[in-house]
Amino acid sequence: MSVGENGASPAHEEGALARAVEALLFLSTDPLSAAELADATESSETQVREALERLAERYAPAVSGIRLRELGGGFTFATDPESEPAARRLFSRTRLQTLTPAQAETLAIVGYLQPVSRPEIARIRGVSADSATATLLDRDLIEEAGQSQFGAVLYRTTTRFLKLFGLRSLEELPDIVQWDPTPEEEAQLRERLLAAGDARAASG
Amino acid sequence: MVLASIELDLDVFSGPFDLLLTLVLREEVDLLELSLADVVLAYLDHLETRGELDLEAATEFVLLIAALLELKSRLMLAGEGEDDLAELEPLEAAEELLARMLDARRYRAAAAHLAQMLAREDGVRFREAPLPLALRRTVIPPADGSADPASLGEAMGRLLAAPPQISLEHVAVRIVPVAERLAHLRELLRRGSFSFDEAVAGADRMTVAVTLFALLELYKRGEVDWTQEQTFGEISITAPAAANDPAPARAEAAAG
Repeated sequence: MSVGENGASPAHEEGALARAVEALLFLSTDPLSAAELADATESSETQVREALERLAERYAPAVSGIRLRELGGGFTFATDPESEPAARRLFSRTRLQTLTPAQAETLAIVGYLQPVSRPEIARIRGVSADSATATLLDRDLIEEAGQSQFGAVLYRTTTRFLKLFGLRSLEELPDIVQWDPTPEEEAQLRERLLAAGDARAASG
Repeated sequence: MVLASIELDLDVFSGPFDLLLTLVLREEVDLLELSLADVVLAYLDHLETRGELDLEAATEFVLLIAALLELKSRLMLAGEGEDDLAELEPLEAAEELLARMLDARRYRAAAAHLAQMLAREDGVRFREAPLPLALRRTVIPPADGSADPASLGEAMGRLLAAPPQISLEHVAVRIVPVAERLAHLRELLRRGSFSFDEAVAGADRMTVAVTLFALLELYKRGEVDWTQEQTFGEISITAPAAANDPAPARAEAAAG
């Protein structure tokens, strides 16, 4: 890593580094961070970032069918959506297309509250999350992340989740606060709830 | 259908078995009040009088009784942990419910946003190749001659041969005698009060378990008092208030 700090070493001549980085990205199924790329190519992160910029030009839209994306904590190649119809004809297996409302809700809860246990998800949703959790696990969008102090399995989102949802990291998830109901909505909800309670008390 | 005709005479029901099933399913007989053990006993009586075992009917009975047991256990556990709202005051319950509804609403909105994000990425694919063989943890090369029928036969023969008995003589089963732990606890007690943690400091799980067992025994005999301020808190152990009472000696004599 100390070699070619100034880019003088022939192996790290600009074009060569970009080519090496390109090859590593081609080989890897998981996003590679600048640090990982720097380690593997024995160069500095700054140099790797420069190389990535050069690559980005080569993988620009309308130039290549492949895009260089920064997703899931690193860099990875992805296809241009332009080629999707062709890809769909070639491969029988489609990419993850849609989520059912239950799956999306469960995924949202795991995304924001991770690590979170299934009972906790069920408590927030008000209904069981077993089947949705199983599907999300199956699709590799969430994974187990140890156990809670009461022995329930905890879940967190996967790198695949970040990739498929176009996120560089979990920090890119929009702040949950923006979906807080307005005070008026909250008051309305409270009123309805209390009215329903009174009605039940009167009938019971 | 032999099973259906078994006559039952129970506390809450008397009549044929199949009628009982119907009534349970229609909730006209409360499953919680029905003693399933009595049903099993009645069935065993029935078997005895018949003198032969109809495998078909017996299987069906086991299936039905298992289903009833599961149903009943669910009824008995109903609500536990699932919904603690019932325990709260009405106003508190309403607040808690409101908080949950708001939470659910928040995450439903977030879910809709996630769905949009996914839609925006529509048509983007990634390389999903399996890890190369060299990077996988175990490398399993193709077995030599695995296509040869003779080698298959040989392999099968190896599988069918009983493996040599594995000697377990060297495995020592650790035994923690209760008497030893009793003596240990009494020794500590003689010096005054102590905590359970002190009593089992550095001990393995087995010893901890047996020590607790010994402690229960001492408590039963009235040799100790113990208190625990909170769940998972420290258990403090003291001699009972009437410490001058020669209870230990008496208990020992009784035990001996």
